[in-house]
Amino acid sequence: MIFAGFPLSTLLTIGGIAGGLVVVFYILKLRRRPVAVPFSRIWQRILRDKEATTLFSQLKRLLSLLLQLLLLALLVLALGDPRLSRSITKGRNIVVLVDASASMKATDVKPSRIAVAKQKLAKMVRGLGGSDRMLIAQMDASLRPLSTMSGDVSNLQAAVEQIHASDTRADLARGLRFALDSLRDLWRPEIIVISDGEVGDPKEIARGLDLGNADLRYVPIGKSGKNVAITRFSVRRYPLDKSRYEVMLEVTNTNDKPVDVELTLLGDGQVVDVTRLHMGPNERLPRFYKDLAGASRTLEATIKLADGQHDDLPADDHAYALMPERRRARVLAVTHGNTYLDAALLLDEYLDVTEIAPSKYPPKENFDVTIFDGVAPPLSTNTGSALYLDPPDGASAPVKPGHSIDMFGFDVWDKKSPVLRWIDMGDIQVAEGHKLEPAREDHVIGASVKGPVLVAGRRNGRRFVELGFDPRQSDFVLRVGWPLFVLNTINSFVEEDTGYLSSYRTGEVWRIPAPSTAEVATLVDPAGHKHRVPVKEGRAVYLGDQAGFYKLIVPGEPPVTSMFAANLSDVSESRIKPVDKLELGGQKATAALGFHAGVRRELWLYLLFGAILLSLVEWVTYHRRVTV
Amino acid sequence: MSQRTRRLLWGLFILLVGVGLFAAYKHFILDAPTATIKWIRHGVTYEFLNPRTLGILLVAPLLLFVLGRSLADLPWQQRVLSVLLRIAFIGLLAFGLARLARTAETQKVCTVFLMDVSDSVQNASIEDARKVVEKAIQAQKKDDLVRLVTFARRPRLVELEKKDGKLVVPPVAKLRHDKADDPKDPVDPGAGSDLQAALQLAYGVFPPGYLKHAVLMSDGVETDGDVLAEANRARGFGVKLFAVPYRRPPPGEVALKTLHLPDKVDIGQPFDVTADIYASRHEKAHARLYQGVTLNGLDSVRELELKPGNNEVKFKSVVRVGGPVTYSLKLDQLTSDKFKQNNNYSATLDVPGRPAILYVEGQPSRASYLTSALSAQQFDVDVRAPTAFPASLKELERYDFVILSDVPKEQVSLASQDLIEKYVRDLGGGFLFAGGENGYGLGGWAHTTIERILPVRMDAQRRKDMPSVAMVLVIDRSGSMNGLPIEMAKAACKATVGTLQGDDLIEVIAFDSTPNRYVKMAPARYRSRIQNEIARIQAGGGTEIFPALDMAYQDISVVQARKKHVILLTDGRAPSQGIKDLVQAMIAESITVTTVGLGDGADGDLLRMIAETGGGRYHAVPDPNSLPKIFTRETELIARQAAVEEWFPVQQVAPADFLKGIAINSAPLLHGYVATQMKGPPAQLILASDRGEPILARSKVGLGTTLAWTSDVKNLWAVDWLRWPGYSKFWGQLVRDNMRKKQRRELDMKTEVENGVVRATVDAFTLDERFDNAMESKLVINGPEPHGDRREVDMKQIAPGRYQAQFRLDKYGSFLLQAKHYKRNKNDNLKQIAVSYGHISNPYPREYASFEPDVDRLERAALAGGGTLDPKPKAVFDPGKDKIVYHKQLHNRFILAAILAFLLDLLIRRVRLFDRRFLPKRRRRAA
Repeated sequence: MIFAGFPLSTLLTIGGIAGGLVVVFYILKLRRRPVAVPFSRIWQRILRDKEATTLFSQLKRLLSLLLQLLLLALLVLALGDPRLSRSITKGRNIVVLVDASASMKATDVKPSRIAVAKQKLAKMVRGLGGSDRMLIAQMDASLRPLSTMSGDVSNLQAAVEQIHASDTRADLARGLRFALDSLRDLWRPEIIVISDGEVGDPKEIARGLDLGNADLRYVPIGKSGKNVAITRFSVRRYPLDKSRYEVMLEVTNTNDKPVDVELTLLGDGQVVDVTRLHMGPNERLPRFYKDLAGASRTLEATIKLADGQHDDLPADDHAYALMPERRRARVLAVTHGNTYLDAALLLDEYLDVTEIAPSKYPPKENFDVTIFDGVAPPLSTNTGSALYLDPPDGASAPVKPGHSIDMFGFDVWDKKSPVLRWIDMGDIQVAEGHKLEPAREDHVIGASVKGPVLVAGRRNGRRFVELGFDPRQSDFVLRVGWPLFVLNTINSFVEEDTGYLSSYRTGEVWRIPAPSTAEVATLVDPAGHKHRVPVKEGRAVYLGDQAGFYKLIVPGEPPVTSMFAANLSDVSESRIKPVDKLELGGQKATAALGFHAGVRRELWLYLLFGAILLSLVEWVTYHRRVTV
Repeated sequence: MSQRTRRLLWGLFILLVGVGLFAAYKHFILDAPTATIKWIRHGVTYEFLNPRTLGILLVAPLLLFVLGRSLADLPWQQRVLSVLLRIAFIGLLAFGLARLARTAETQKVCTVFLMDVSDSVQNASIEDARKVVEKAIQAQKKDDLVRLVTFARRPRLVELEKKDGKLVVPPVAKLRHDKADDPKDPVDPGAGSDLQAALQLAYGVFPPGYLKHAVLMSDGVETDGDVLAEANRARGFGVKLFAVPYRRPPPGEVALKTLHLPDKVDIGQPFDVTADIYASRHEKAHARLYQGVTLNGLDSVRELELKPGNNEVKFKSVVRVGGPVTYSLKLDQLTSDKFKQNNNYSATLDVPGRPAILYVEGQPSRASYLTSALSAQQFDVDVRAPTAFPASLKELERYDFVILSDVPKEQVSLASQDLIEKYVRDLGGGFLFAGGENGYGLGGWAHTTIERILPVRMDAQRRKDMPSVAMVLVIDRSGSMNGLPIEMAKAACKATVGTLQGDDLIEVIAFDSTPNRYVKMAPARYRSRIQNEIARIQAGGGTEIFPALDMAYQDISVVQARKKHVILLTDGRAPSQGIKDLVQAMIAESITVTTVGLGDGADGDLLRMIAETGGGRYHAVPDPNSLPKIFTRETELIARQAAVEEWFPVQQVAPADFLKGIAINSAPLLHGYVATQMKGPPAQLILASDRGEPILARSKVGLGTTLAWTSDVKNLWAVDWLRWPGYSKFWGQLVRDNMRKKQRRELDMKTEVENGVVRATVDAFTLDERFDNAMESKLVINGPEPHGDRREVDMKQIAPGRYQAQFRLDKYGSFLLQAKHYKRNKNDNLKQIAVSYGHISNPYPREYASFEPDVDRLERAALAGGGTLDPKPKAVFDPGKDKIVYHKQLHNRFILAAILAFLLDLLIRRVRLFDRRFLPKRRRRAA
């Protein structure tokens, strides 16, 4: 027995003082009201009766005193909040994993699955055994313990209140690993999963997982599920014609019956397209909107049932995408004059080109890309990524030019490099140039048998491409490949490559491009909440759990703001038909038992109830003169 | 007021109190919208967490009722006071049970230290971390708490030990996560670092009512999870994160970090295998590179001098046989190396094998010329006799190109011909039909499936100035032929006439002891007259072959024809004298002789000798009924298409990529070909004879290509070509250019591994650089090589033109990936349209791959988590301006108040405080 309330010494003090007072009150003899007796024989009889009952009266007084002392003891003990020592009674140690994935937002049970899950958990908390301890964790794509391993009902109830569903899938494997870690070396370990069962492939979850002696229990939530979902939504610009883009949208009917849905595509909040679809049972219907053009920045797709009713999971009836930004790239050309370079830069209308003499470098303005033509001054922080054309020896080029080479061509080149997309380097003949001496981490894009001549890499977080010869000393500038090379390089620097995807998936760690000089950025989620996110190697890292549009603000002069979208895009989460049984690695989860409402581990509650009962008894017996 | 009235009023009062209390209870508690009752007073929030227990106050009417029936001798004032105190007593206890709580602020701090004890961390670093924790314990304030979590692959909560009344951290040995702790786990529990999981476990360790601080002590190298993503979540949950990087220099360690192989390797082409080797200090190493299970042929053993940091080592290698090739690099003889796991690294490469060619040669003994030429051009050539032609399309599919050379039609079944057509049309195969004595019309290929798919027709226009064929039928009409044999022989002669072209010449000689010209040498166009004359032949007499054959020779030798042929039919025996010389004379003038022996009486040896000497065929025919068929086929062979046997130069008449670099005009002369006729477009004539007749023609058939080479490929007509230096290159380039492209398209695959999960992505574009959508793709994972498992996962389209598959790697080794991309055709059947290849290596737990601390990661995590790097001991308990609001339960106060009420009640009932007037009266009386 331990005392969680007042310490024993305090209790003894209080008990001693109060008990002493009680005894003193009983020693004091109550003065009785004088009663006139008109007839002495009656008085004698009374005196005779009194003599006969003196012993009984004393006994009754003693009983009354003991009753009072007992009542007092109950109260004093309650002050101490006594608890049963674990060493005496080893109760269960329970980790409850509450599925808070998107499917738990389904409303097939009222008011929602997550609310029902909370109700069931609250009931369990109230019915926790006297020596049981429980840890409540919310499980979605990540894991969040909401309480310690505790038997404190009020704390656990507060934890229950904090549970809320997110827009992600449930990662039961991670949840179980956490539960096992938390239950390590604890007595009677038990894991309770409260879920609708959409927690992924049981075989995958059970892979490499050993539940040991932990009991696995399952509390199924949900009745049925009628749901139609947007399971994929993304947009990409065409690689050649970047003014146009294509949207992919996939609608999935997760029901066993056909359904008619109305699909609406919105661009910047305006309706772009409305389509009525008839979908067969469990049909996945991809749709492609090709050759779209226009200035729409945000795209949103919504579906609703054609009959006007709502399905049971509204969370996947919306999807968001953001057009890859087609902003004008600010390009600085540091050159003594190069007609071929000028001509190449004229080909893309989305380039804002500024040309300066090398002596004017660095400029005051900011640029996304700088092309150093035959020069390589120390790189200024405001001039972005850099393309070096034949940097002179001994200058500040990222890759040191080595010895001179002549009469060479490209014998090997990386056809997969975005810089060389659509370019055949095999026919290029170069009169003279330099062999480059790349660092280990650099990527050699092109090389002749005489050594590397085209290298890409990153220095201090900023990207560069370096060409080891003056293009005018070759027939490169006379070929179609030359402007493609220049524009490909700029595109790859400003991330306008076709690899850009317009939305992230909730529940995954996002690595959002951000200026690499920043250490921390601010992320504004769809609800408007701001988060401080770390930036490492030019990427802001964030584990997102809400679908919608996000804004990333990277501090600087001026701050750089970018937007992106996130979607659930998980067909398994949209299949909301509940699973009645859970079996992992051959171990079948059993029902959660042993929670009986009314059995509390806080003894002081029972002590107070006892005191109240005793006081009522004492009240009645006192006034009926059973005790005095 | 009467007693009855008082009782009634009292009862009414009790009823009113009861009803009032119940109404209030129902209104404020039972019907309340929330389970708790909350209000704010002076900025402090008060809340009944369990308000329903206030219902205990409903016993108040009972107290009043008992009071009304009281026998106690108390003044009424004391009775009233007593009942009020008792109701207050019960009310206070009810309030206590209702758990009234109020919000309170505190600055108590609970700091959880997260200590990295993974294998890559040295004991000295853990010892440093222990000191950090113990210093912090000394710096903590009285109400603060300290918890310790150690982590490697998984986190564990560690109980701090008590020593001399102070908390101390257990020794290093106890902190390490040993295999003995998890005997069932196949992977060493120390072989990983999951900082994120450690942080998540910490969330569940903070008791309520404390500010949450976490101190991450690690080298910052994580193998699972993402601590940066978790750091800002931690901040969101109210956890302030500090970081203490391990700064000890890495131990003596050598680790093979990667083994780079080229994306694509061709057989026989040397390439570099590049190893990245990390060494924490100067080190010598003995390196062995294996190709498969044997040492790499070109460059296998090296003595390495490794400098601190990353070292790049290149080995030369070459692959001789196609298929998956696994390279393994092993390091040993290391003087200072802690972990052996990272001294081996394997990577697998899928080397496409040589193109396979099926070469079906009618004269296998002469197949060596083309076989050698193609082998020299890096082809695998499978030479087969016509009888061994593949029986199924699946078997044929293994080949990239099929050559059918100089094979008579009879030796290739109709089913095999159909297979060739399907192979070309549906599988996109390349097919070359080469001529020779049995090629084209000479082999009876006219009007066959093969003719249908070739770019040439076999009914060649003949030259008007010269008949193609002159044929003499020499028929035995001896007495033994009487009856069915002579009738069938006549039918055969008539069928021969019907088979010949109008310009062809025919003569029929019937012989017994002497020969007799029944049909004199005449064009076959006079069919009815010739057939009538044949009908006149009657059986009778002996058998003399020589005169008849000689007559035939005399007659045929004087006519002009491109092909002269004699068919001799006999059923008996005859003197053989002079026959051989005669036949030799005939063959010298390009007059060929075929013999047909009818029945058992025929002199098989003689007839065989005549046929062999005469360059023809010998047919032993037991059944006379088959004579017309044999004559017809023989005539078709000889007459319908004729070989042009003369020296001629080859002329290129159309450009072709495969002739690039080959001086075809300077090629030697060919000595013959089979005359054919070009079909219309898309058939394309590439090489022609000096007469403009097709020598090499090409046609697109379905997905594949057919080529017709009307000359031969061996030492008969192409005998001079065999010595031509361009012979091998010519055939090599021809085959390479027209062979089956097994996979029509190869799409690049990008692979990345994050937290043990592989993500394979393929971008598909159409020829006009649009997105290629609606492919159905499957990814096959083979590994770990060699002889690993095979798994198949679906690749899902995630964006226009982008397909992706994700799967978890749970084994170590090298893996080959192959994605097959399908599309549905009009018939809704899946058809493969492209393939992608990739490979990944997961050689050992990543814990053993990196030993340089990643301080930057920890710094960013601390920054995002609101803390600092290397905090001072006091700082980890410094609440700063942070305060935590928690619920403070007030039930003890109510219990104390209840005790007071209880004592007062007792006092009231034990001491008469009112109505003490009777005392003076009694004293007066006593006085």
